[in-house]
Amino acid sequence: MKLLKSNKLAYSILFLTISTILFFSLDLFLGSVHIPFKNILSIVLNNTPEKESWGIIILESRLPKAIAALLCGGALSVCGLQMQTLFRNPLAGPYILGISSGAGLGVAIFIMGLSFLGISNSGISLSTDSGLIISSTLGSFAVLGMLLSIINKLKDIMTVLILGIMIGSAITAIIGIIQYFSYDIQLKSFIIWTMGDLSSITNSQLILLTPIVIIGLFFSFVASKNLNAYLLGEEYAKSLGVNIKTSRIIIILITSILTGGITAYCGPIGFVGIVIPHMARMLSNSSDHRILIPLSILLGMNVLLIADIVSQLPGLEQSLPINSITSLIGIPFIIWIILKNKKITSLN
Amino acid sequence: MSKKINISSLSVGHDNKPILENINLVAEANRMIGVFGRNGQGKSTLLKTISGLLPSISGKFWYEDIDILSLSEKERSKLISIVSTTHAVIGGINVKDFIAYGRYPYTNWLGINKEKDYQEIHLAIELCHLSDLVNRNYEELSDGEKQKVNIARAITQNTPLIILDEPTVHLDLINKIEVFKLLKGLVNDCSKTIILSTHQIEYALQICDEIWLINDGKIEALTPTEIINNNKLKEIFNNDLISFNKASNTFKLNK
Repeated sequence: MKLLKSNKLAYSILFLTISTILFFSLDLFLGSVHIPFKNILSIVLNNTPEKESWGIIILESRLPKAIAALLCGGALSVCGLQMQTLFRNPLAGPYILGISSGAGLGVAIFIMGLSFLGISNSGISLSTDSGLIISSTLGSFAVLGMLLSIINKLKDIMTVLILGIMIGSAITAIIGIIQYFSYDIQLKSFIIWTMGDLSSITNSQLILLTPIVIIGLFFSFVASKNLNAYLLGEEYAKSLGVNIKTSRIIIILITSILTGGITAYCGPIGFVGIVIPHMARMLSNSSDHRILIPLSILLGMNVLLIADIVSQLPGLEQSLPINSITSLIGIPFIIWIILKNKKITSLN
Repeated sequence: MSKKINISSLSVGHDNKPILENINLVAEANRMIGVFGRNGQGKSTLLKTISGLLPSISGKFWYEDIDILSLSEKERSKLISIVSTTHAVIGGINVKDFIAYGRYPYTNWLGINKEKDYQEIHLAIELCHLSDLVNRNYEELSDGEKQKVNIARAITQNTPLIILDEPTVHLDLINKIEVFKLLKGLVNDCSKTIILSTHQIEYALQICDEIWLINDGKIEALTPTEIINNNKLKEIFNNDLISFNKASNTFKLNK
């Protein structure tokens, strides 16, 4: 197939697939309790643990967390890629454009908002799976929709970025007000949520999230022909037969559902969405979304697994918040890209 | 019967505010049509409207018996290709991939090119003399090279009608002439109909078959000879700074 133009690309995909499997295994292996690797294998494959506690640790804690890392990495990277193309902005991503904040607002209203309105909601907690995912998706959809209605009037990419940051700040302010009026327990669970946490995800949440991410990624790939046309600019895309309005809405929907879904259960995880698409472009030396989407998924999975492994390095009693790790990995990379390639800010 | 393009009672403008109203023009197809007019007279607005990029306020644009403006983007993309003044592209695209995007209307959902598509791509590369550039990054090209790549992409789209908004802007003298010759070749050898706006009046008068002259909200279709003989340019460029020399077809600065 002509798509896999060079052996280099085929090797990259092969290498990344193998490293995903390796890091996934390592993520299952590492933790405060030492479990021999062959036991992990038998637990995952046959559910026959040598000790019952080992089975619980793997199946209830480490496996869901590692799967969450795969889903997060894949979904957020593809969201970032789609937004960079749609907004024609190399610094676009779910986090920086305020879309994660929008999801956060949805979650804040869901967790704390009802008490803000004077309704006691002791029955509602983070375990109310579908309510959380719906409110989070609606929040990210609202921000993305708002940004795109503005972007039509403003052509300058920097203005859109600043507006995204402004919207994000405004939302943070609103969340602050909600926090101020909310009860201790709800406040704590919300604060922990904002730190980004792969480990709090439950198996029942995974059952809901996994098909959402798989379907979202599938439709992202289906949209890759349209995304490619967007690379030439909207006018050219239109002249090539792309229905701009429809394809925009589809891409925004995919992005909001993916960002919303992931953010609902894992919290806002920063910088993965911005950085990974650039890594994929550098690795493939291509801007073709049919190549970039699978590459971004694989790279994102690897990076999130690595971040999760780093967050629980030996010697640490508790694991570090994953959001801090991804930011610490991501920010130097972005600075490096900007310094190395000055063109990043002058794409129009 | 020869093919025709027909603009009837067309009004164009932005946000329902017309710039040009009630345009009526008929032209033979397979011709090179130049659109003249000073800045802000509505050249780009007219071209964008008939390419379907901007909604018309009222009226129709016919190609043969096809009502172009009522078509979907997809149907229109097989009839009209465009070359605009913007070169905005994100990320690195190599020239060959860029030109290949012209096959978009004809490929399947994943955009896989087939044998026929590759033939069209190679043909366009040869016509525009771009063989040496195919593996270069589009971003790194000069303005003249970029413009030729854009034209090659439009050729690859294989539409009977090509609409270009100031295709020679930012180009040096040699590149300007090359682009004009290339476009003329498309009309003569590939039976294309080309509509282009330009400020290169002296060259356009020599190379276009017909000129649409826009002045003060009115548009008039004339042959280059009519324009020269009737001193039409004086009406538009009614200015003491320059005068048009009929004998040599050139503008002269007034001292």
